[in-house]
Amino acid sequence: MADTVAQSTMNQRAGMSLRTRRILTHAGIFALLLLAWEIGSRTGLLDPLFYPRPTDILASFWRVYVTQGNIWFHLYASLGLVLAGFVAGSIMGIGLGALVGFNPLVRRFIKPYVIVLEATPRIAVAPLLIAALGFGAQSKIAIIMLVCFFAPFINTLSGVVNVNEEKLELFKSLGASKMQTLRKLVLPEAVPVIMAGERLALTAALSGVLVAEFIQRDQGIGSLILTYTRNLNMASAFACIFTLTIIGFLIFRFMEWLDHRIAFWNHEDGLNRNAQKRQARWSKKLATA
Amino acid sequence: MMDPPKSNRPNALWLMSRFAPHLALFGVLIIIWELLVRTGVITTIMIPKPSSIGASIIDLYFVSGTIWPHFFITLTEAVLGFCIGAAIAIALAVGSSLSDPFRRYVMPYAIVMNVTPGIALTPVIIAWFGFGMGSKIALAAVISFFPIFVNTLTGLMQVDNEREELFTSLGANRFQIFTRLRVPAALPLLFAGLKIGLTTALIGAVVAEFAQATAGVGVLMNRFSFQLNMGASLATLLSMTLIGLILFYSMEFLDDRLVFWRREERREAVSRKRARAWKRRAETSGRTR
Amino acid sequence: MEQQAIIEANDPGTAVVAGSNVGKTFANGTVVALDNAEFTIPKGKFVSLVGPSGCGKSTLLRLIAGLIAPTSGHLHVHGTQVAGPRQDVAMMFQRATLLEWRTAIENVLLPTEIAGNVEDADRERAMELLHLVGLGDFAFSFPAQLSGGMQQRVALARLLQTGADVILLDEPFGALDEFTRERLNVELLRIVAEVGATTVFVTHNIAEAIFLADEVYVMTPRPGRIAKVIDVPLERPRELAIQTSPEFNHLVDEARDVLGAH
Repeated sequence: MADTVAQSTMNQRAGMSLRTRRILTHAGIFALLLLAWEIGSRTGLLDPLFYPRPTDILASFWRVYVTQGNIWFHLYASLGLVLAGFVAGSIMGIGLGALVGFNPLVRRFIKPYVIVLEATPRIAVAPLLIAALGFGAQSKIAIIMLVCFFAPFINTLSGVVNVNEEKLELFKSLGASKMQTLRKLVLPEAVPVIMAGERLALTAALSGVLVAEFIQRDQGIGSLILTYTRNLNMASAFACIFTLTIIGFLIFRFMEWLDHRIAFWNHEDGLNRNAQKRQARWSKKLATA
Repeated sequence: MMDPPKSNRPNALWLMSRFAPHLALFGVLIIIWELLVRTGVITTIMIPKPSSIGASIIDLYFVSGTIWPHFFITLTEAVLGFCIGAAIAIALAVGSSLSDPFRRYVMPYAIVMNVTPGIALTPVIIAWFGFGMGSKIALAAVISFFPIFVNTLTGLMQVDNEREELFTSLGANRFQIFTRLRVPAALPLLFAGLKIGLTTALIGAVVAEFAQATAGVGVLMNRFSFQLNMGASLATLLSMTLIGLILFYSMEFLDDRLVFWRREERREAVSRKRARAWKRRAETSGRTR
Repeated sequence: MEQQAIIEANDPGTAVVAGSNVGKTFANGTVVALDNAEFTIPKGKFVSLVGPSGCGKSTLLRLIAGLIAPTSGHLHVHGTQVAGPRQDVAMMFQRATLLEWRTAIENVLLPTEIAGNVEDADRERAMELLHLVGLGDFAFSFPAQLSGGMQQRVALARLLQTGADVILLDEPFGALDEFTRERLNVELLRIVAEVGATTVFVTHNIAEAIFLADEVYVMTPRPGRIAKVIDVPLERPRELAIQTSPEFNHLVDEARDVLGAH
């Protein structure tokens, strides 16, 4: 036994060094790419006016975040809208999806409209909404709601419709009421699919706010990118774009975390955590009784 | 849902009974909408009369034909962008599936591309590729890349242990396993990715047209919206739906042809065709012998 | 043919498969999947490997197939050491592992395609084999159009198409219902006898193991090893009815004793 333990720690150490080596190689390649870019730009192979140097982008990061600090205002404006539009749009999507999913007649009649809506680039309605609702937050939120609505709607609908037949029969045989079936079977079964829809919706929300801001260039990160590009200040434009990369990454991780929390039974760590928690709760209840 | 009659061609009666309720509902909705606007219950400029949308459709599509040049420009942009994005995505996915080191080098950049909202690059891409079709094609390619890449890679990385063992036990080499097992097994997922990619390519083309362009349905949409000509904007929106449907169903058709083994009727058709080919070969080889 | 000559020169007992001291460990030696297996399988014999999961029966099968390499000992087929997958050994799995984009006949032709070019003679043979397994009328059906039992028949035809005379079967009918399985077992015996193959059959069903085999290797887990070799002297051809005979039940008890005692 001692032998195998020693061996496994050795393996671990070997694995770690392999991992470190890989990370170093990747970092090296990345650094080389950046260096090639920088040199290409400095020797005039790449026009720095259009293809900003990595060092310039870094300097711009410092400027927009610290010395000028102008990005904060725009970020705040955009992300507030994203949050509002996402929450409103996805709640509507889930609600309508569930409503349609439970009603076979409505489902049948709504199908052609769903096909048409699915083929339409929803974001294309942006100019129309802006023209109709006027400049300002309300038209932007409307656009975000619109692009956020569809994925949760479709996923909730299919999640509710595609509940396992045998499990439904089980509930029927147990004499469960409609409400019980919904709460104890249909919703939990649909949750992972709904979460996948929410993930898509939040990504779409980010794109939606950008398009809205490209069209009405008053404030927000989208209009900032547009202004910088128009002034051929490409380095600052890229500082904004990479900011969006970071936000996109954070959103991705957050949705992943949320999925592990809510649909815990699909993930190993969630299973362990909940099993322990529930056992503790169980024994506490026994002790008090 | 009604099943189609046993004969291969659905007859007119069946088609009528199938579509009549939908058409009736659609007609009723349109009439109610028209009445609501005419009687002054709905007064916002945002919601035009169905009859004025109809008039715009007739004018744009049939009388003046204004829409068609724009229609084909956007269609071309979306298709070319999609083809470029798909070619790069499939090439990188094939490389990544064949070589572990290659995959490790590609993945971080692919993930960065995925979490960055591709739409954010719109102004920069217009600065790089100009106001013409080039920038629209480029944006369409950029944002259609990731869904195709990730689906193809997932498809190619699916490993069915028993089938791999079968091939190994038959002495198959890596190339044979790739072409005869991995690729056909990946086709369904590849097509799922291509369908998503086509939709996103269209979004890319239209958004780039919103930002800056001289032609395309996005330009038309912008123009009509800001003229507050809602009938014409909605008629233009319809053209985007049309492009979306054309693109989606042509891919669906290809999917059905190439991944023929999923659908009963296609399976039977291909099965009959191969039986005939076998017989023909047997006859010709018998004659030569 | 050349290999035939080698075994006849090396081994007068005509052992087609022979293992001496064969062992296989996984996870750096922490898991002993197969410990010290000693066995010889004569030409044309049918051997069943039976035992609970983890007893090493699948490992032994994959070692003979050359899919994995032993960590100790020697394994010979037709007198030559097993060093990887080979032409004279073929394997069949619990799932039919058919390619769903190929018709039955195209699936049967897969081994020929992988080995080289497909000639008219190969096509004729493939068609004959489909007739042999009773699927002559379904040559151009896709796997999705066939029942589970029919899919396994196609897999059997594909296995025979390799031309191998050592055939390895890993619970081939385990996923089918009892009736289909019994019928296919009887047919398997007929077909194996017809082509004269040496067969190794893995199962966890004791009665099935005895019904099919000339010799049953009863295997026990932790570490996986061949605990006992039971000779099955029942006459051939066998009918399903022999399963009720006292001799048959005696053999079942004998195997059960070994597995129960462990």
